[in-house]
Amino acid sequence: MTATASTLDTAPARTARAGGFDSTWLLWIGIIAVLLFLVVSPFIYLVITSFQAERTGEFTFANYATAYGRARYVEALLNSLKLGAVSALLAGIFAVPLAWAVARTDMPGRGLTRMLVLATFITPPYTGAVAWILLAGPNAGWLNRFYTLLTGAEAGPFNIYSFSGLALVIALYSFPYIFIFTTAALELVSSEMEDAANILGAGPWRTMWRVTLPLALPAILGGLIICFLEAIALFGSPAMIAIPARFNVVTTQLFQFFGNPVRVEVAAAYAMPLLGITVLLVLVQRLMTHRKGFVALTGKGGERRPILLGRWRWVVFGYAMFVAALAVFLPYVFLLQSAFAKAWGRGFAWDNISLQNFRFVLFEHATAAKSVLNSFLYAGASATVAVFLTLGIAYIVARKLVPFGGVLGFLCVAPFVIPGVVLAIGFYAAYAPPPLSLYGTALILILAFTTRFLPVGYVNASAAIRSVNPEMEEAVRVLGGSRLTALRRVVTPLLKRNLLGAWLLIFIPATRELSAAIFLYGPNTKVASVMIFDMSEEGNFERLAALALILQVLTLPLLWVGQKALGRDFMLRRNAT
Amino acid sequence: MKGLGRLALVFALAILPVTARADINALAEAAKKEGEITWYVAHYTSEGAEDLGRGFTEMYGVKVNVVRTTAQVAYQRLLQDIKNNQTICDVFSSTDLGHYARLKAEGRFEKYIPETPPKIVPTFQNFDADGFYHPTAAGLVVLTYNTSKVKPEDAPKKWEDLLDIKWKGKVSTGHPGFSGYVGTWVLSMKKLYGWQYFDKLEKNKPQIGRSINDTVTALNAGERQVAAGADGSTLFSAARGNPLAVSYPSDGAVLIVSPSAIMKGTKHPNAAKLFMEYLYSIEASKINAKHFGIPMRPEVPAPPGAKPISEVKLIKPTVAEVDKGIPEVIEQWRDTFGN
Repeated sequence: MTATASTLDTAPARTARAGGFDSTWLLWIGIIAVLLFLVVSPFIYLVITSFQAERTGEFTFANYATAYGRARYVEALLNSLKLGAVSALLAGIFAVPLAWAVARTDMPGRGLTRMLVLATFITPPYTGAVAWILLAGPNAGWLNRFYTLLTGAEAGPFNIYSFSGLALVIALYSFPYIFIFTTAALELVSSEMEDAANILGAGPWRTMWRVTLPLALPAILGGLIICFLEAIALFGSPAMIAIPARFNVVTTQLFQFFGNPVRVEVAAAYAMPLLGITVLLVLVQRLMTHRKGFVALTGKGGERRPILLGRWRWVVFGYAMFVAALAVFLPYVFLLQSAFAKAWGRGFAWDNISLQNFRFVLFEHATAAKSVLNSFLYAGASATVAVFLTLGIAYIVARKLVPFGGVLGFLCVAPFVIPGVVLAIGFYAAYAPPPLSLYGTALILILAFTTRFLPVGYVNASAAIRSVNPEMEEAVRVLGGSRLTALRRVVTPLLKRNLLGAWLLIFIPATRELSAAIFLYGPNTKVASVMIFDMSEEGNFERLAALALILQVLTLPLLWVGQKALGRDFMLRRNAT
Repeated sequence: MKGLGRLALVFALAILPVTARADINALAEAAKKEGEITWYVAHYTSEGAEDLGRGFTEMYGVKVNVVRTTAQVAYQRLLQDIKNNQTICDVFSSTDLGHYARLKAEGRFEKYIPETPPKIVPTFQNFDADGFYHPTAAGLVVLTYNTSKVKPEDAPKKWEDLLDIKWKGKVSTGHPGFSGYVGTWVLSMKKLYGWQYFDKLEKNKPQIGRSINDTVTALNAGERQVAAGADGSTLFSAARGNPLAVSYPSDGAVLIVSPSAIMKGTKHPNAAKLFMEYLYSIEASKINAKHFGIPMRPEVPAPPGAKPISEVKLIKPTVAEVDKGIPEVIEQWRDTFGN
């Protein structure tokens, strides 16, 4: 996200230094063309649709009047904004202390904490929400039962069916974004800067507040923005929690525009202001990080030592385990119980344990096993495309290689905020009919996943590019190398770990993507998330839990391979270079 | 000569689909040549839909591309296809009757009257007087309850029982804005008891889920004890050993009928017709009952725990009532319940 700070600059392109034609221009043009194709074509379709009359297709503002002419619909939008803000804030409270402790201190169990955050990250928000309904349901939630048992009170204090309940559940499953971005940034801050603060008389806490955290501010803000946008675009958790809690958000309202009578034009109009909100966020972030230097990777070494916390290390560790308990330990008790239960409504009993759900999902169901394979293949392909594409875009934007580079940055972030169900219609309209005729192919899903997770790749890539001091590339160019050489031989190797981290950051949510997939899959390209959603629609909870667990367990070896390949530097973790 | 005759028959079928009542064997022959059909389906569970598709392939050697999604998604895909002049979908099976009213009015369906209707359960005969769409799946909205918290004798027996103060904080429902089942149920209650029914229900603070199947989750978790739920998903969960049971309301279970239709311009007209015939076969009814759907054919017994449809007192809203009434009750619902 950091580069988007500078993105709206309209500085003209630098003239090529050596003069003459630089062939890397072709590469830039190619990258921009792909971006336009991926993002702009579905968007143009949506914008046009939002101005079309339902039957005749004539130009009209009526859709906007319908979408925003009722207090009820406007209220849903305001609820979403509030939800986004509260969730992002909560996620920040979970993530930033953990990131600081893991990256900069001698807290015990740092590796464990990392693994637990990863476990959180690979948990689909949907399954997390279901588990939390079982934990904090007002009547039968286990936390409430435990409370009444302990205190003898009539009823427990927890109610998941509330605004704060929903914000908590969303924050619990989106805080890893902030954690991962922030640890990556903090690990780049050299101890010399902190030493300087110490010498000038600042204690460790003051140093953290005034030196370390401000240096990681672009990363923290980037993470917060991703969390905010995700909270707005999420459908599964609000559908399960907000509706019983008797309030609507944008996505649940949008869904109702697709019911009878269908008003897809109104839905498109209703989603448009979200684009404005994205622009606003990008601007806010730019204002907040304006004129501050965040370049940390200078190629000039620098020592990084952990901060000694003394007795406080156990307090910090306790906090990490508290967050892990909320996000992983408690929910997984119920996920496991359901997956291994004959009937989960019977609760914990020895005679209720069975492997039947796993056998069914893996061997007996016609398409479940294949859907898991499809998910992994498509997510892998999308992550690969997205990582290289966003690296290219972030580079173009950061080094101001084209005029109006900021627009490109915006295009990369935009897909995140348009709720998937609306975006999916744009994808279907842009890619399914001729000339592309991608209906029912794997490619249509790969393109959609790539587009949907461009923001994650872009936020990561631009933060990474921004941390690389241009002097290093300039050295290459002074020695006669082209930009491409600099990119290939200097930037990419420097950011190798970062890129792999970004790949996983895209891969993992892509294996769980639902809202676009449900619209685009064909008879032979069903993915696991669609399968899981179907089972939830059918109230088929035991098999759903089994399939979700299989998906998660299969993700683990991948993380392990990543760890092997990169040693201790896995998931954006970086030692002194 | 024989080949020529068959060709003529196929030709006749192709140009005279409106009047033709096909001979199944000839249809099967012609369908085999077409090789496949694509089926947009929101009926059944995804597993049930796949099973039905496979059953057809085994019977006739024609491949079925099963695209099983929710009714809204199926309809959106279809609209996009129509807009782009694509005919991908051959047979369309939505659970939302409004879709049929609209598509029929726009002339999107191919008229076809299957051979078998006289053989299906009388309840489902002559659904669309013009013969454009035909019921191929059905379910009921009934009273459901958690058996570990509620004894059968205490369970609600009629819809008004849900208004009893003893169920305060213990009732679960879905949302008419998200579920056609719930919408049809709300419409029926309004017709029977007026909107006061829901004003009173709100006094019992029901937990409102999204899909009608969310009531299964609410009951299983013990979060709620009684519900207006679907017979199929509740009985399926009960058959697994979950503490659930259904109670057929004495004032009538709400019948939800889901039709299928052949799309105009289909590239596989014979296979599509054959598929419509197949959905009325005893084999398809058996597969349907296995997945806790109501069988269309009287020869096939009801799924475990369910009453045969002929013995259930039914409330049967018409297509016109559903199409016009559901958008209205959604608004009323949101006024009363606040979301």
